[in-house]
Amino acid sequence: MITTQKINNYIDKIPPAPLALKKTIFLLNKGELIQAAKAAQSDLALKAYLKNLVNKAVYGFKNEVSDISQIFGILGVSGSQQAVYNYMISLLSPSKWQLFKLNASSFENLQANLSKKWQMILAHLEIKDKDIESAITLLPASIIVSEALFCEKIEDVNILRTAKALDYNTILQRLCNKDLFDICEQISIKWEMPSKIAQIVQASSGVKPSENEEIDKLGKWMHLLLFYELSQAQNIEAGLNDFIDFQVEYIGDIYEAFSTLMDIA
Amino acid sequence: MRAIVKNGIGIFIPQGFLDGNKTSSFLSIEDIEATSNLKVDMILVSLKKVVFFNRNGLDAFVKMFLKVRAANHATVGFCDIDKKKYNAILKFYKDDINFSIFKTEEIATLFAANYKNQNRSVLLYSEDKSQRSAMAIELHDNGHNPVIAQSESEFLNKASAQNAYDVIIEDTYLGQMGQKVATRVTGNAIIYTVSSFLDVEIGNTFNIAYHNNSLNVGFRLFIFDAYKVVSMNIHALNFFSKLASSAAEYNATICFVGMNFEKTPPTFKETLEDSGIMFFEQMDDILQDKELLKELGASAGANIKNKRVINKGIVTELPNFIDATVATIEMMTNSKAAKEKAEVHDIIIEQTKDKIASSIGFYGDIDGMVILVFPTNIAKTACELLIGEKTDDMELVLDSLAELVNIVGGKIKTLLLDEDISVDITLPRTYPNIESLLEITQGRKGVQVDLSFDNDKFLFFLTR
Repeated sequence: MITTQKINNYIDKIPPAPLALKKTIFLLNKGELIQAAKAAQSDLALKAYLKNLVNKAVYGFKNEVSDISQIFGILGVSGSQQAVYNYMISLLSPSKWQLFKLNASSFENLQANLSKKWQMILAHLEIKDKDIESAITLLPASIIVSEALFCEKIEDVNILRTAKALDYNTILQRLCNKDLFDICEQISIKWEMPSKIAQIVQASSGVKPSENEEIDKLGKWMHLLLFYELSQAQNIEAGLNDFIDFQVEYIGDIYEAFSTLMDIA
Repeated sequence: MRAIVKNGIGIFIPQGFLDGNKTSSFLSIEDIEATSNLKVDMILVSLKKVVFFNRNGLDAFVKMFLKVRAANHATVGFCDIDKKKYNAILKFYKDDINFSIFKTEEIATLFAANYKNQNRSVLLYSEDKSQRSAMAIELHDNGHNPVIAQSESEFLNKASAQNAYDVIIEDTYLGQMGQKVATRVTGNAIIYTVSSFLDVEIGNTFNIAYHNNSLNVGFRLFIFDAYKVVSMNIHALNFFSKLASSAAEYNATICFVGMNFEKTPPTFKETLEDSGIMFFEQMDDILQDKELLKELGASAGANIKNKRVINKGIVTELPNFIDATVATIEMMTNSKAAKEKAEVHDIIIEQTKDKIASSIGFYGDIDGMVILVFPTNIAKTACELLIGEKTDDMELVLDSLAELVNIVGGKIKTLLLDEDISVDITLPRTYPNIESLLEITQGRKGVQVDLSFDNDKFLFFLTR
């Protein structure tokens, strides 16, 4: 159904990050927000994406924000880096979703909700690290990879899943000895993202705990946050609720803190 | 969201947070309709992957339970819950609880009468005395040995004894149990469960088309689990007499187990015996007696008297059958299939060693049977995706092979439906060796297609 060759072909086809993006990230890393905004201006699609993103309800701005330097100024260095990475990941999304009932707008909403809530979590954990803040941006890549690999096999997968509760990650692991999160890591390497991002996302799979205590803790929060989002009505309807396996035991020790933070009654 | 079906139990496994109005997103109208049409005797919603729920969150599933039970009398409920979740569900629904709650899926299966796991030693406790009795009766009826703890301290004391019980039941509540003519397979015997009053309704609730096609596929032993039957009237007597006559044409045996004749005229038993039906007191009297099983036909199929020939209708659809099979095996093994030849004749298997087989019947607009013969190593590879690891346990491989053939059957059904041909599929039958398969296929002509998967030979046979 899915072969290692197919996965390799998929990764090979991922284009390198556009120059304007690379430059924007580079300048953001140096803390030069104004220069970064200038670099971002040259990529019209990025400009439109950022404008659309920060004006979503979840960001809570009263007035429309349209100028890139203004957006970067509001978001700060780490928030801007997170937003640019979100845009990079969105470049991988298909023009038409088939496996999941998503579209460009609903995928952006998912990205925005994850990013905003991840910021809340990091504030609660008193972590100020722009790479850790950006780690959440790689997580939705697992959804895009599932879509890309399985969209031609929807019927097969559906029939298989009537006989056995197998999630896409497990199917891929059993067939190719490589899972969705390994592919996300490959993407992050190709796009020269900081290695910490991939480490946290690997841990957030829930099946590969990290030996690094801090990474593992962040992996747990990210795993639970993912399922909190995947339990939202629009994501359940999109068919995302069971695309990977929720590891309830893995998040046992942080659940209470999470539910308090998210105000879950 | 759709249920995963195994051993006559359909199970939903939602994940994450069930609150507010979200759960209606889990179940569309089509999902509920499809669940109501499932041929299962239990529908469960597992809460093992749910970290938070409230009453609103469970309501969509509870509404589905009511619809399913009204449609097909299946037992319905939640499973995989801890004490906190158990108490929460009881609190939410209080006196209005009309579904069951099982602490684990394993406990639920004890009440679904899966004879594969029968004769388990079970310790049970519930604060509610009537619940304790109800559970004990159900378990006993299903062939288990329940021990009731009368108090919590007695329960804790007994439960602490290591390895004293196969299963320990607590945090479990029995709602209304199903009344369906349920079907399950153990070995190669088909067991139907009947209960309460057997009257003219049996003609409506018993799936005669399914039964006939099970005969055609090669099942030869049909057991009616009648422990819970209160009485039988003349209409039911006529129904079973006719069923026995038609079974005789296939050399098949029909048995009744646990039937009590206190409220049924004894002459009925004589009439049924005259028509060829056998009576046993206990299920074990049949299932644990290998010699008797063999004699009754559950180990192999006997020759069929009225052999049928393949017809144009089936041959026209051959590409669909091949496509479904090839696509499934390719999907499960990640290999490429090559078709070698296709011919019409009796089944010819050149090398019979290290091969296993499975068959599945289909009926409806067209009817027939697909037989798949696998080299054991391909079967093991194909089942690896379902099992999750390599195994040499042949029983597990045969079980998984049955699931795989079920997937093939499901795919055939879908492909045929695309051409407006509606069929249902029977339960799959497995054959641990070729000799047992040949007893079924002897004298049957069909289309044999030899395929190879990465040079491993694989045989597909389509017959009626």
